Amino acid sequence: MTDQDDAASQDGSATNEHIRVVVADDHPMWRDAVARDLADAGFEVLATADDGRSAVARTRATVPDVLVLDLNLPGLTGAQVCAALAAAQVPTRILILSASGDHQDVLDAVKAGALGYLVKSAGREEFLAAVRATAAGEPVFTAGLAGLVLGEFRRAKAAGGGTAERPIPELTDRETEILKYVATGMGYKEIAATLFLSHRTVQNHVQNIFGKLQMHNRVELVRFAMERGLDLADPT
Amino acid sequence: MGSPRHGAGPDRLGGSDAMGTTEQRAAGEDGGEPVDAPDLTPSTTAVLEDEHAIVRALWRGVDVFRWLALVYAAWSVWLRHDQIAHLVGAVAVLGVLTGWTILQTLRPMRTFRAYAVELALGCSAILATRLVDHPAVITAGAKTIPSIWPTAAVVGFAVLRGWRGGLAAASLVAASSFVEVVEPTANTVSNSIFGLLIGGCIGYCVDLARSSHAALGEAMRLDAARAERDRLARTVHDGVLQTLAFINRRASDLGGEAARLGAMAGEQERILRTLVSQTDLAEVSRAVSGAADLRALLRHIEGDGVQLVAPAEPVVLPRRVADEVVAAVEAALDNVRQHAGDDARAWVLLDDDGDEIAVTIRDSGRGVAAGRLEEAVGQGRLGVSSSIRGRATDLGGTATISSGPAGGTTVELRIPNRRTAR
Repeated sequence: MTDQDDAASQDGSATNEHIRVVVADDHPMWRDAVARDLADAGFEVLATADDGRSAVARTRATVPDVLVLDLNLPGLTGAQVCAALAAAQVPTRILILSASGDHQDVLDAVKAGALGYLVKSAGREEFLAAVRATAAGEPVFTAGLAGLVLGEFRRAKAAGGGTAERPIPELTDRETEILKYVATGMGYKEIAATLFLSHRTVQNHVQNIFGKLQMHNRVELVRFAMERGLDLADPT
Repeated sequence: MGSPRHGAGPDRLGGSDAMGTTEQRAAGEDGGEPVDAPDLTPSTTAVLEDEHAIVRALWRGVDVFRWLALVYAAWSVWLRHDQIAHLVGAVAVLGVLTGWTILQTLRPMRTFRAYAVELALGCSAILATRLVDHPAVITAGAKTIPSIWPTAAVVGFAVLRGWRGGLAAASLVAASSFVEVVEPTANTVSNSIFGLLIGGCIGYCVDLARSSHAALGEAMRLDAARAERDRLARTVHDGVLQTLAFINRRASDLGGEAARLGAMAGEQERILRTLVSQTDLAEVSRAVSGAADLRALLRHIEGDGVQLVAPAEPVVLPRRVADEVVAAVEAALDNVRQHAGDDARAWVLLDDDGDEIAVTIRDSGRGVAAGRLEEAVGQGRLGVSSSIRGRATDLGGTATISSGPAGGTTVELRIPNRRTAR
């Protein structure tokens, strides 16, 4: 987890007041506590939501920098919320906050466009750093998530790599190497030192990995959102 | 309420051996307790009650066969009634068999005792042939009075007690035939072999049907247990875990005594999350194919600063290979605990790239100085090397142990994936 702290402290300190956030969680106590923590730390909380559809609607209406999204909302799953927002081309970055561990639903949400993921048991400072990193466009990557992402690329490769017109991009050897380092708990700094790369280069590789994962899914997601009757035209 | 009902599952399945009582018992439970067995879907219950579909068909077959055999025996006696010395005796024997046949039709008794009586009647009827026939007629190869009627008892024993029961009953019938003829005829020999074949084969089929039904029942039970656990996991995720995580977080902000309480809540949250996220999938797959999901087998190493990092899909290895890999990982983690320092954390990454399964164990501890391991091997202190490298080599794989520039040791096991070797 040290990687997020590093990233955030370098890129996002003292700029909290410019970061606008929407919090979506169906547990009132969590929602209020998260919103209060963010407000106390100087973030601007634009709105809160307690189910999937209102999360989509309020995010589209306010277009915050970051949506802090609980994975298990009533109405829509976290992945469906991400898909709906991606389909509506909302530029908001999404940080998943989940009580469950590193599982398929986390991977689905990340494939659907979420930029980062944190378990709810993470400390307050860790959480605030993750929101700052997400706002700056940096993937909030835990070891567990890296393992899931690596497994997803392996699975896609074994399955023959998608369809002819939309092949699943493969990871380069360097990207695989970096992903495996992240998956064994190494921070960006440590990886940079091991590979004799700059911190920035490692971050770029990680962003490319996310890009490859999400690129493949985007078209699929728009279709999915339309099929589910998610209103993409009119933000209410 | 959940656990006692749950306990009824295996009990009910276990009762399947008690022939004939299962159906009534299951029906009684369902009727008496409408809320019973929420984890057993209607189709599950239907299959469980259908336990003896084959067996019941065999019983019906035996009931019909007994009548046909009786008619055949009577017809055989009628055909050669002028050969028979004591026709009254023969008719009396047929009368007893008819009485038993009627009794078994009106009130079918599918118990060991009833079939012991039937077998005794059949064997006695065979022996009685000696009393009603001329010895010369018997030696010439005449049919016995009951003819094929005792075969019903042989099949009955095969259904009751499997191939052993079938063979034992057929042996008794054969023995009676040999005693009756004194000098065995070709018919006696071939009929006896025929009887042994019927008893053995039908018994074997019944054994197979029973064991496959038991396996099906076990798989269904595991499935039901997993569904129940999933339901519990959802509830726990939505409520208890959220609350514990919340307490942990707020308390650590408050500091002091509250932070200690919060840490306890956090610890419980972690344990509970591990507990409810485990599935019985490994057990099911092991039962079906002898393969194991490495993720499930390594679930227990989590905690105490160790994190298992795995793909969303199962990492499947043959059971024997998986056990060796688990042992190697445990040895590596023991090494971390002993040498990496108290505050070291460790990660175990499972990566299945199609050709190989790589297991990487990395810790954030002090690391191994280059050459230290070789030195240890040279001094005969094999510890890590033999338990990790030896296991990997035995499986046709490799193990590399290295130290990063930032400290910490990395052990990488590479095990060839047999699935792609096919």
